[in-house]
Amino acid sequence: MENAIAWIFIFPLIGSVLVALAGFVNRKFCYPISVLSMAGSCWAGIETLRQAMSSPSHEVSYILGGWTLDLFPRGVGIEFRADILAALIAMIVLGVGLIVTVYSKIHVEKETPNKESVYYSLMLLQITGLAGICLTGDAFNLYVLIEVAALTGYGLIAIGSNRAAAATFNYLILGTIGASLYLLGVGYLYIKTGTLNMVGIREVIENSKLANSETLQVAFVLIGVGILIKMAFFPFHAWLPNAYCNAPTTTSCLLAPLVTKVMIYVMIRMILSVFGVKFSFESTIWVSWMPWLVVIAIVCAAFLALSQREIKRMLAYLIVAEVGYMVGGVWIYNYYGLIGSIFHIISDACMTLCLFLGAGIILHKCKTTHFDGLRGLFSRMPLTMIGFFIGGFSIIGLPPTCGFFSKWYLITGGMVSQRWEYMVVLMFSTMVMVILFFRLIERIHLAVDESGKNLGKGHGDLGLTKEQTRFDEAPLIMLIPLLVAASIVLLIGVYNQDVVNQIEIFLKAYGLPTGVKYK
Amino acid sequence: MKILSLIPIIAIGGLLLWAAQDFPKWGDVESPASKSPVSSHFIGKTGVDTEVPNMVTAVLADYRGFDTMFETVVVFIAGMAVLAILKGSTRGNSRRKDHEVEAEPDLIVTNTVRLIVPVIQIFAFYVLAHGHVSPGGGFQGGVLMGASFILIALSWDLEKAVSRFSIERCMIVAALGIVIYGGIGLLSMMLGGEFLDYAELERVLPVSREMARYHAMLGVEIGVGFTVTAIMFALYANLSSEGSLKQGL
Repeated sequence: MENAIAWIFIFPLIGSVLVALAGFVNRKFCYPISVLSMAGSCWAGIETLRQAMSSPSHEVSYILGGWTLDLFPRGVGIEFRADILAALIAMIVLGVGLIVTVYSKIHVEKETPNKESVYYSLMLLQITGLAGICLTGDAFNLYVLIEVAALTGYGLIAIGSNRAAAATFNYLILGTIGASLYLLGVGYLYIKTGTLNMVGIREVIENSKLANSETLQVAFVLIGVGILIKMAFFPFHAWLPNAYCNAPTTTSCLLAPLVTKVMIYVMIRMILSVFGVKFSFESTIWVSWMPWLVVIAIVCAAFLALSQREIKRMLAYLIVAEVGYMVGGVWIYNYYGLIGSIFHIISDACMTLCLFLGAGIILHKCKTTHFDGLRGLFSRMPLTMIGFFIGGFSIIGLPPTCGFFSKWYLITGGMVSQRWEYMVVLMFSTMVMVILFFRLIERIHLAVDESGKNLGKGHGDLGLTKEQTRFDEAPLIMLIPLLVAASIVLLIGVYNQDVVNQIEIFLKAYGLPTGVKYK
Repeated sequence: MKILSLIPIIAIGGLLLWAAQDFPKWGDVESPASKSPVSSHFIGKTGVDTEVPNMVTAVLADYRGFDTMFETVVVFIAGMAVLAILKGSTRGNSRRKDHEVEAEPDLIVTNTVRLIVPVIQIFAFYVLAHGHVSPGGGFQGGVLMGASFILIALSWDLEKAVSRFSIERCMIVAALGIVIYGGIGLLSMMLGGEFLDYAELERVLPVSREMARYHAMLGVEIGVGFTVTAIMFALYANLSSEGSLKQGL
């Protein structure tokens, strides 16, 4: 299909309008329309990825409006550019979107009654925005799509309780600041280069020796900080935990795996495609201190996660820590580190999805996600718990889950570039993750309460009645998405070499150092 | 707290000033943004490519029409999000019981509005349809149109305005705007071009490729106008009554 890349956003766009209109006819139509349009979009995503991998230049370029690319610098008309990285991340966005849409049925009916049409419409537009961010090759178009993704995000979170509305307000202020800084940076770029096309900007920077231009330096800072705010990097993370914990379940399942990860993708895209590797790493001073900021970020986020007594809130802080991993992988300025970062975007999206789907099921069944309410869950819902802990093991980094392999590359990157601080903090945070998840496993298997008091008689006796430990699995429509997500985590782990090969094909063109470059 | 928040402001302000020393001179023809072939393409070729005399409209609705489509979607999302948050909320019902005014609409005000509203609406159509030639277009025309409904709500009350233009109808019209915009893009894709490649519409329109772009731009501006009109009013109606759609300001 020639226009596959366009169908990626056309399907959910049509879907969202249809869903909005279907709400006035019969709300029952909303769910099937959403699932169908997401399935169509996924198919287009797979097709685009296939085209990108099989084309000789390893990318698909698509000019919206049929304009020309012949000028130098290019930039008449908006370009969609799916190189392998963009197509891979877009595929992850669409896949997660499809799984969450299938999963959403019961939660949406229960948590946002009478608002299904608005909810699904916003959800489809959210996925459109995120997939568009991955594919666009135009710096200003990226801003517009960030707006689409952000505004739908505010709506999707605030649709829940009154507390969610308060959390959204924080998110809205910080998100707007981040987006404004980005926009200001794009303005500065345009003043100096005269084009908005990402590749066009890079060509101008490289050809006209703009490396020491103050304007570009400031543009880099503005865009960098704007994106760091958007991705909830540690000192700017304050909006994330409240927003994700008070949001309706489906919203957190959709936003948690995607939003922060897509923003890290934007950072990588800005470094590789817009400013260029040489400018970003060698003409700015970020390389020297970013890894140290990452160290602080990971340590603080790990401790904050450790102090939580509630699954969703703990997971929210885990995301903040994971953001630290990926940002660090980029800024240690190393080929392997960047492979690790990109691979970790993919695996982190899958495992966070697993965990949030699992937490959603627990919330649905137990009415709470507090640690104290988990006793006996393994005998009640063995399949759900297996899915949940596959995600957990992947966060820790146990083979053969994908989290092991991405962390492997990150640590390799830290070693070969001799950024020992980054390597040590990765090890440290792995230990913290082990504590976090084995503490949870203990909670669902052993009968010890908060103060250490023995509740059961030992030998697997949890001190619960037969009623409370009876097999009571989640509804299939929720269980199957979770198990699919868990098997994706395992599959990416088993076939990690194929994923890494594709990432290497993409990264080879950028001439990153494979040894120590900084110092 | 106030002093703390001064620190980042001064830092960013200083950064921006520091960057300004490197700026090209004001209005410099040699500056990259004016010299770049992209700008000269817009300035020199707009008339050739699209037959549209107003360069701004051509850049907005054609060269960068994809941005504008998503800007329209953003407007639509804003309406949906407000609806999502306020629909069925009980916040609006319990408020300002004590100073609720049960006054008749003022005779002079309502009669003036009766005279003004049709003029505003015709002007809105003019601004919308004349966007190619003079400043104007879908967003501006849509805002004027929406303002005429808000004026009705202000001078009578919200119920009267909502009885003319109910919120359901607002959302349908807003969705229709997106359908028109996206539909024109999709149609041009179906006819063999890329998404939003209006020139391909020559196969269904009895005009040249350039005039096809001209007419398609009018089409998408109408779509934008639909969405903006409806969402302007829906936002006002929902926010002024906190979702209850009664009384209003």
